[in-house]
Amino acid sequence: MAKILDMPKLSPTMEEGVLAIWHKKEGDVVGVDDLLAEVETDKATMEFRSFDKGALLKILVAPGATVKLGQPVAVIGEPGEDVSALLASIAGAAPAADPPPAKEAAKEGTTAAPVSEEAPKTLAPPPAQPAQAAQAAVPQRPRAPKDALAFLTRTEQLEDDMPVTPVNGAKALASPFVRSRARELGVDLGNIAGTGKHGRVLPEDLAQTRAITVSNAQSGAVGPTQALARATHTLAEPKLVPLSPMRRTIAKRLVQSKQTVPHFYLQIDVRAEALVTLRESINAELAREKPKGDAAPKKISVNDLLVKAVATALVRVPECNAQFSDEGLLYHQRVDISVAVAVPDGLVTPVVRDADKKSVVHIAEEVRDLAARARQKKLKPEEMSDGTFSISNLGMFGIDQFSAVINPPEGAILAVGQVRDEPVVEDGVVKPGKRLALTLSCDHRVIDGAVGASFLAELRALIEHPMRVLTG
Amino acid sequence: MATRQLRYREALREAMIEEMERDPNVFLMGEEVGHYQGAYKVSEGMLEKFGEKRVVDTPIAESGFAGVGVGAAMVGLRPIIEFMTWNFSAVAFDQILNNAAKVRQMSGGQFSCPIVFRGPNASARQVGSQHSHAMEHFYATVPGLKVVAPAFPKDAKGLMKAAIRDDNPVLVMESETLYSVKGDVPDDLSDVVIGKAQIARPGKDVTLIAYSRATHIALDAATELEKVGISAEVVDLRSLRPLDEDTICDSVRRTHRAVVVHEGWPYGGVGAEIVDRIQRLAFDSLEAPVLRVTTLDVGMPYNAKLEQLCMPQKERVVAAVTKVVSRGRA
Repeated sequence: MAKILDMPKLSPTMEEGVLAIWHKKEGDVVGVDDLLAEVETDKATMEFRSFDKGALLKILVAPGATVKLGQPVAVIGEPGEDVSALLASIAGAAPAADPPPAKEAAKEGTTAAPVSEEAPKTLAPPPAQPAQAAQAAVPQRPRAPKDALAFLTRTEQLEDDMPVTPVNGAKALASPFVRSRARELGVDLGNIAGTGKHGRVLPEDLAQTRAITVSNAQSGAVGPTQALARATHTLAEPKLVPLSPMRRTIAKRLVQSKQTVPHFYLQIDVRAEALVTLRESINAELAREKPKGDAAPKKISVNDLLVKAVATALVRVPECNAQFSDEGLLYHQRVDISVAVAVPDGLVTPVVRDADKKSVVHIAEEVRDLAARARQKKLKPEEMSDGTFSISNLGMFGIDQFSAVINPPEGAILAVGQVRDEPVVEDGVVKPGKRLALTLSCDHRVIDGAVGASFLAELRALIEHPMRVLTG
Repeated sequence: MATRQLRYREALREAMIEEMERDPNVFLMGEEVGHYQGAYKVSEGMLEKFGEKRVVDTPIAESGFAGVGVGAAMVGLRPIIEFMTWNFSAVAFDQILNNAAKVRQMSGGQFSCPIVFRGPNASARQVGSQHSHAMEHFYATVPGLKVVAPAFPKDAKGLMKAAIRDDNPVLVMESETLYSVKGDVPDDLSDVVIGKAQIARPGKDVTLIAYSRATHIALDAATELEKVGISAEVVDLRSLRPLDEDTICDSVRRTHRAVVVHEGWPYGGVGAEIVDRIQRLAFDSLEAPVLRVTTLDVGMPYNAKLEQLCMPQKERVVAAVTKVVSRGRA
């Protein structure tokens, strides 16, 4: 005896379900507990299993259709059984399927007693159709009390809480209350993993979030930081500084570097007595020269000597004057050294072009000029781009040794510490000496350990015999 | 301060008697108010007490006696015009809309119209499509009128007295099914004023906004909701025009959700007005859209079960509240 299968209640709160997919087709033999179909409920996609055995005689609902609880979806019975009478009986009774997208908003004001022709789609979705025919919209006379009631109780219904396409850059799904609370707290909703439906940010999600605030200190009203302090009760209020364009760039580029460039580090400690001595004698010579006009006497720094030494070493080990690209490894035909310069709210890397071809004094003048203009924020973009190798020197800040982050797209950076006075052992005798720690950060995609080591060996030789720096 | 238990109809009667004793210009006029003792016994005993000059039986001619009332008010009396039900005021609509509400404006302030129109409003039991109207929605839209709709005997008395003393036309919407409801009525009614709502039940999860009979539906729903852990606050409006938007919005700012419950159709009307206030004045407090549980958008059926289906019910309020409190939650 054939029977109608109704849409079952697959979750405690289910009122309707979308028939996602049929796993049996008409004519298939079905056993008890066989998977008939999958149904998307308000909670999840659920399995719809058979309680009967027999043959699936008729599928009444096409995949994708929304079906109210208890509405017919299929007919099951003996193979070959005539179900036309049964089908006729349900065709005359309550309709089943809302083919998507049958969500029709009836026009306000075109109601309905006696039942109006103005809102036929809401009042009467098409009755259940065999699968093939269910796709075609067949206009029907309104006669579905359940759906009429849905229309008449429309002010009691919430729109389906669907995922919302972000508008105006707003990424998070959140109520006006949550949005206004987030504004008060200075919380970026985009940073919160909402626990509501479709990732909606709920008020309690907000309460659990340690706010990252944006200052609005100028406004006389209670600002976001005060609100944050209140919201978090015991935590002291942080001072908020908006991101400057430079800070944004630093953040972006260094994250890019550390996350995408495989860094490795090579560290050496070089004897620096000769370097310091050479610098002193050069500066003594320069001091004797008569400066033109009011210009300050020329002088050079250890760093200027290092720029020249690095440039020379790069000429000798060109594999380190290279960068990675998706097309292949780029070996530079020029030696342009980026010099990291601290400025009040960040750092910049002006470039000394063709450092290998310039004298130390020339480099010293150029670096001094670049650094001065960097601090005044007067560098042109082209003066800060397209270096081939970077040097970062924190010696003047008392740093002995550190590792630097590669300045993309360059392939390496040399971190320079301060010259240290310390006891050294020479020929089995401890005596006062000077040491300088150098750390090379390499992009392993383009520079291997041995290549980096040979570069550092060249550099060590140059620094420990610095006359070679001057002679190139 | 003394408090007594009175029925809603007794509270109304007391208000009228006290005001008529206090002010000889106050009189009651309407169909069956005198010899029949009132169609719903609201005016029981008043003819005997005040005589035929102050408790006046009229013909079945609403437009006529409403107009007589407006004229009397213009020349200094303070009439109370009873409509046997507010449904019948439809034939007197012109008197209320064009005369009572407009006479001060049209006379450049030379005339006031201190008149009360009162009577039972909205559904009763099986009185059919033409006698079940919630007329407050029509009248509350008119500038120049005040409309009150008490839910409890105390407010019935307080608002009736306030209406009689008001120098503007005030429409008192009573309810046939509330006339026998008992409640505490204190002697001091100074907190019952036109334009001021009350929190009929405090709560924290959702605000139910209702008036008249619907306040009792909302309170029943709140009791039901409490069983499932939902704390509903019930705002009893009492006054529909002027509307106490502060009390409404203060509540919604605390609960972040609202459901409006009233008799009468959902299209336009008082509920739509309340939703306007909430979205306009408390937008940033909302966690969910505001729903309305109203009489269904059809003429009232006579069939008892269909009538119940059409009227706002506790179950529908509970369902609507469940939707708004769970909205957006996985």
